[in-house]
Amino acid sequence: MTDSPPKKGVFNATVLMNRSLGDKFCRLTLELEKKANIPFSHASAGQFIEIDISKLALPAEKLIPQHLSDSAQRDIILRRPFSFADIDCNNDTTVVEILYCVLGPATLRMKTLKIGDSVNFIGPLGNGFKIPENRKLALLVAGGMGAPPLIHLAKVLKKQCPDTELIAFVGAKALAGLAFFDIETSKLKKETDIALGEFSRLNIKTFISTDDGSAGVKGFVSESFKNWLTKNKPDDKDTIVYACGPEAMLSATAAISSQFKLPCQVSLERRMACGTGLCQSCAVKCRDKANGNTIYKLCCKDGPVFWSDEVVWE
Amino acid sequence: MGIKKNNDINLSVNLSVNLGKVSLINPLITASGTCGYVDELDDFLDINQLGAFITKSITIKPRLGNDVPRIVETDSGMLNAIGLANIGVEKFIQEKVPMMERYKTPFFVNIAGQTIDEYLAVADKLSQCRRIAGLELNISCPNVKQGGITFGTDPALVRQITTEVKKVVRDKILVVKLTPSVTDISAIARAAVECGADALSLVNTFTAMVIDIETQKPVLANRTGGLSGPAIKPIAVYLVNKVYNEVAKPAGVPIIGGGGIRTASDAIEFIIAGATAVTIGTGGFINPDCAVKIIQGIKDYLRRQNITAVAELIGSLK
Repeated sequence: MTDSPPKKGVFNATVLMNRSLGDKFCRLTLELEKKANIPFSHASAGQFIEIDISKLALPAEKLIPQHLSDSAQRDIILRRPFSFADIDCNNDTTVVEILYCVLGPATLRMKTLKIGDSVNFIGPLGNGFKIPENRKLALLVAGGMGAPPLIHLAKVLKKQCPDTELIAFVGAKALAGLAFFDIETSKLKKETDIALGEFSRLNIKTFISTDDGSAGVKGFVSESFKNWLTKNKPDDKDTIVYACGPEAMLSATAAISSQFKLPCQVSLERRMACGTGLCQSCAVKCRDKANGNTIYKLCCKDGPVFWSDEVVWE
Repeated sequence: MGIKKNNDINLSVNLSVNLGKVSLINPLITASGTCGYVDELDDFLDINQLGAFITKSITIKPRLGNDVPRIVETDSGMLNAIGLANIGVEKFIQEKVPMMERYKTPFFVNIAGQTIDEYLAVADKLSQCRRIAGLELNISCPNVKQGGITFGTDPALVRQITTEVKKVVRDKILVVKLTPSVTDISAIARAAVECGADALSLVNTFTAMVIDIETQKPVLANRTGGLSGPAIKPIAVYLVNKVYNEVAKPAGVPIIGGGGIRTASDAIEFIIAGATAVTIGTGGFINPDCAVKIIQGIKDYLRRQNITAVAELIGSLK
């Protein structure tokens, strides 16, 4: 029994839009039921919700990609976690945006959500990015499907810390992997020279890299991040790094940040069942700062955002 | 059974049941390892509405638990191999037991160990806590290398551990939680009951495996895990009925039944099969407030059936 109003709960939402972005990516826009307004007005970038997929239908057979035709036959019972690309609380209405990638039987089912459909979810869950005061520079490092919470964070930082300069480093395997973004191409420039609408509209200088060189610079995003740091040497007291993406990329970003003595927050991903700390599935190996011992924290409850120096990178 | 007019929505129904001398306001209990230590469900339901609360497993020393992946979803179920991650009995008594004072609900603490001495040490410490109604002896965890399930598959060890723990639990209720991964669950149940178990809890998860065919390795870091969820429910209902008929009913010992309960009708099946109380585990991962909905569903069912007390339903299988 707590006296304060619940910080999280089980809620319903209505689908306002569910649109494909390229081959595998989709943007889902949800309007939350009114009683979710208060908890979501306090939600932060990097938090997440657990969506009930179990009652969603599969797409028609001919619309199921060949590589998912086997796993599509699996039943879904557990909810699936998704972070936000945006939360918009206006008057009485809360609208959240979720960017997802169709990777398996659950996200395949999500593609069949239509305008007006009802979605049941638990949230807001976990701890989002912490925004320390007096940082003149925030560096956002996004790899592949890790972009959504950083898109949200960029909007929040622009609003809450208008004097903080933001610079983004965005990486993907190839141009198609940047489909979460609104890609702006200029006919005057060569094809690899693109801008990402979500960041360019906020005047955020953005460095793009792809593994195959099909957009931006060829190479890993962590390399482009490191090159920039080497060249610009930002003051460690004025700077903060925020990263989300595959674990190897986060590990590299954490190591580079530590080399430049920059504080860094990373958003991690784990297999999880409940999302609320009950099942203990989503363990993250961490170092106990008090005594140096190895401990497990929970991605869902203690994270998903961690300080990079508390995580034991393997 | 009460004779009233059909479908009386005002029929007052009595949901209370007794686990030995502990009285529960209804048969709904949180399953060990799925609902935290004490207050983790607060945002989703009022714990005072539950019949009882069973904590996650507590061991003598803190345990980190297994490496990840610790879970994998299966058709209509999931495998877990958490490895009894917990803060240890000292910290549990210091930090968690005092939180129980905030609730009226009876709390049962699930205990585990690698040796009988470890079980005894934990049981002894917890038995001194006034607020704890009983202990659930976990001799059925499939996910630890020593102890756990190895105690629960051998009737002679079950006799020994139940007898020894019973000596230190003082006035607390002793519940013995059984594994279904045995040839004859009744033999294990009989051993526990004959050596002083005040209640039986069944079933724990079924030992199982999921293989990643791309790497040809098990998905779980622990290789095997415990299968739970709707997939196991019909087997669990059968085992509850078997133990009820062969052991629990003749001995007058109540059963806490569970395995894949998600809805009121699931819970009612277990009660008809012979369970006095029922546990919600994996179902709570999916819908954290499902226990409250199940309580309402049981009330509706009793009214529809013109049954005035849920206790009349226990073991009513024809």
